Order: sequence, then C-alpha cells, then structure tokens
Amino acid sequence: MGTIRMARPLGRIRAYARFMGAAFAFNLKATLEYRVNFVLQFFGMLLNNAAFAAFWMVLIERTGAVGGYGFSDVMLVWAFVSTSFGLAHIVFGNVRHLGRIVMEGGLDVYLLQPKDVWVNVLSSRTIVSAWGDFAYGFIVLALTSGTDLQRFALFAALAVPGALIFAATFAAAESLAFFMGNSSAVSSALTEFMLSFSLYPEGIYGPGMRWALYSIVPSGFVAFMPLRVFKSLDWGLVPVLCLVAAVYVGLSYGLFRLGLGRYESGNRMDARV
Amino acid sequence: MRSGSLRTYSIAASTSMRERLAYPGNFAGSMFTYALFVFIFSRVWAGAYAGATEIAGYTMRMAVWYFIIAEIPSFGFGRFFWTLSRDMKSGQVAYLLARPYDFVSYNYAEKLGGSLAEAGVILAEGIAVGLLLVGLPPAAAPGAAGLASALSEAGRLGFLVVSLLLAGTLNYFLQAALAMTAFWPEENEAFFWIFQKLTLVVGTLIPIEFLPRWAARLAVWTPFPYLSYAPARIAVAFSLPEALSLVARQSLWIFAAVFLARAVFSFGSRRLSVNGG
Repeated sequence: MGTIRMARPLGRIRAYARFMGAAFAFNLKATLEYRVNFVLQFFGMLLNNAAFAAFWMVLIERTGAVGGYGFSDVMLVWAFVSTSFGLAHIVFGNVRHLGRIVMEGGLDVYLLQPKDVWVNVLSSRTIVSAWGDFAYGFIVLALTSGTDLQRFALFAALAVPGALIFAATFAAAESLAFFMGNSSAVSSALTEFMLSFSLYPEGIYGPGMRWALYSIVPSGFVAFMPLRVFKSLDWGLVPVLCLVAAVYVGLSYGLFRLGLGRYESGNRMDARV
Repeated sequence: MRSGSLRTYSIAASTSMRERLAYPGNFAGSMFTYALFVFIFSRVWAGAYAGATEIAGYTMRMAVWYFIIAEIPSFGFGRFFWTLSRDMKSGQVAYLLARPYDFVSYNYAEKLGGSLAEAGVILAEGIAVGLLLVGLPPAAAPGAAGLASALSEAGRLGFLVVSLLLAGTLNYFLQAALAMTAFWPEENEAFFWIFQKLTLVVGTLIPIEFLPRWAARLAVWTPFPYLSYAPARIAVAFSLPEALSLVARQSLWIFAAVFLARAVFSFGSRRLSVNGG
C-alpha cells in the first residue's frame, strides 16, 4: 500500500513534466515557424538590454559604485533578472495574459481538459522576445565572469527559482481579476514594480523599503540574493531559494484556486488544438 | 502631393487632443510608470552623488530635474512609430491617401495633437513629483532678484515649452520616416528599436556631458540630443545663448527630418498597389 501511495505523486510529477515538455516543444515549433520575427524580437530584446548596459557603464565610469554596486554587479543583476524573466515567459508565456483570459471568460476551454487549469493555462503560450532576455543573461555572464563551468551551473541553478518567483508573482497579480474584474491597472503596476525594482542596485533603496523587496515585490529573491550567492559561490543557499520559490508558487496557486471558485463562464466557443 | 488648408490640420489636431482628453483614465498607465521611473532614478542619482556635490557640471538636484524633463518626450512623443506602422501594414494607408489632404502633414497634426495632451499631463505630474522629491529646480538666473529673476524664469519656461514642442515635432518626422520603411520590408520594428535605444542613451537617461568626450562630440552631430537633451538642458542649466543655439539646432534637424520623411513617403508610396474596394 505504501509503495502505491508513493508511486502516485511521483507518477503525477512525471506526467506533468511530460505535459510541460510537450507544451514547450509545441510552443517552440510555433515560434520557429516565423523565423524572421523570431530573429528580430530576439535581437531587439538583446539591444534593449544592451542600451541600459551602456547607461550603467557611462554612469559608473563617472561616479564609481552606485548603491554599493560596481559595473559588474549591476550587469550580473541584469543577467539574473533577464534570464529568469525570459525563462518565466518562455515556459509560462500566458502569465501576463491570465487576467484578460479570466475577465473574458476564456478559462472554459482549460477547465474541460484533464490537466491542472493553472499549469495548463500558463504554459499554453510562449513569448518570442523572451528568448532574447533569456540569452542576454548568459552573454553577460560570459563577458563578466568568463566561461567557468561551475559559475554557469550556479547561475542556471539560481535562475530557475528566480523564474518561478517571477511567474508566481505575475500570476498572483493577474489572478486578482477573479476578485476585481478588470484588474489590469493593479496587475500592471505590480508587474512594473517587480521588474523595475529588480534592475537597480539594492543599496539605493532605503531600509524602509527593503522589507517590500523581500515580500510583496520579491525583487530581492530574483536579483539581489542570487547576486550575493553567486559572488560567494555558496551552493548551500540554492535550496533555500528553491524553498522560497516553492512558497511563492504555493501562495500564487492558492490565490488562483480561491479565485477559480468565483469564476463565471463566458459561454465562449473556443478550441485548443 | 495634395495640400489641405491650415484649418484642416488644426481641426485634426484639436479633435485628436479632445479625443485623448475624453478618456483621462487612459493616462493612468503612463503616469504610473513615469512616476515609478522618476522615483527610481532619483534614488539612483542619490546613490551616484553620495560623496560628490557635482558631476560633469550637474548637481544632484539638476540631475533629477534633468531626468524628469528628458523623459517627457519619451512618454509623450515616443509612440508615433507604432500607430503609423500599423496604418501601413493594415492597409489603412490606402484609404488615407485618397483623402483631400497631404498624408504626412495630416498625420503630423493628428498624432502630435493627441500626444500633446499626454505630454502636458506628464509635464504637470513631473513638476509635482520633482517638487516632492528634490524641491524647486535650480534658479534660471542664480543670484538675480526681483524683476531680473522673474524675467529669467519666464524666459526659461518659454524656451522649455518651445523646445518640448520642437522635440515632439522632430520625434514625429523621424519616427514617420522609419515607419514608412514598411513600404519595403514589412518587418521594420528593428529600425525603431535601434532609434529608440540610441535616443535613450544619448541624452534621455543621462545628460550628454556625462558621456566620454569623444562620444559627446559625436552625439551633437546626430539628431538624438535634440529629442530630449535640449529641453532638459534648458530646464536645468538655462542660459539665453545656449537655449537659442539648442532651439536653432532642433529646428535645423526638423527641416532635415521633414525632408527625409517626405522622401521616404514619395518613393515608398509608388510601391503601393491597392486592390479591391
């Protein structure tokens, strides 16, 4: 009996891993179907991020460290944020469309399918430009820290909980649509806060603001803490960050399930192939 | 080339402006993002100025006010490309060309009219946020008092408004030239991204005096500093000769940009073939 009990959750995890792998492969094929668009968006996003690199290079050259961060620190923060943000939008591309889907009654098609609604809806799309963000972090890493494999592995290990925290926070903000109807203003504000606060040195924010960066707007866990762990090569803190990510995912999932009880069908005729 | 009357274009501009003002809620997103950027950059500047009173001729208060003004063209006049490009790609351009007005001028009046409303709202917000964060901007004529001071302040305000309008106009014609490249390759966003990022680095996020000397020298020969640096410089370091020079250079670049936009339109519209009704 005990073996059967253990086998069930493991089987479900494997089934969901297979499902997410299939969704990812399908989305990737759809993306590559429009190659010119993919290449343009990929390089466009690299260019966008590089413009800010130029700004920081000029500023820090003039002023020295800002908020305790030198140029390589700022670049590493950008690397963590862009790779985590990119990964979140590659795998869970619907995360910033969730509110609109809820508001328009578009969840019906996912409710009828056997997989969990939350996982299904979030992973049923990919964002093309996110590939540029994802790659940018690795390019910056290669330029600032060389090609040391251990550092690459640590960077990748830290980017995964970062991506989960991004996805969980954005999904939670979008899930407010269940309670508020049109929550786009609030969810855009939370998204903007999360992204903007993550991209600048931690030291520029006063102590009164720092608590927010490790709670409601968890920029600290996707940018500042990974930077400290990366610089000290402290693998021991990776599981801690994974645990933090699990808490955020759990809370976001809980909010979604709570909201789902209030969901009203849009009586729409949608098809998913 | 058709030419509508000045009245046609004024009506297009005022209708577009009233349309924007009819839905003030639509400004909320831009206003929020702008306030957030200004707040974060005020913190960045506070960090950069820790232990320094002046960098490249700018005090911290000047740097914050510079950013507040330099971001106004980005928020107010930074999206012409997308609407024009959409008209090109959707085929809407075929309907617009058949109407009794000049396509480039009409679009200028319509697009600029609408965005003036947004730029005005952002300017008012910027002044309020700036006052809250760092107090009044540096005086236009430090040391002057009474009438001389009042005249300098009025002069600065006048030049600031003119320079912002010129920045909007230059932005429009450069973006229109880029958008109309859709007559050739339909995927023309890459051109705009490059333009947008150069604008951001050359004079929007940071004054050009902060750039390495060679880069600053090169920058003044490009149109980019006249899109946001010019009004921001007038706002924080006003001097009559410099303000006149900046406004004159903005005007020269507008002539060049109008010529460019018209040339792109003239060559590009020959490639348009309209089918159906």
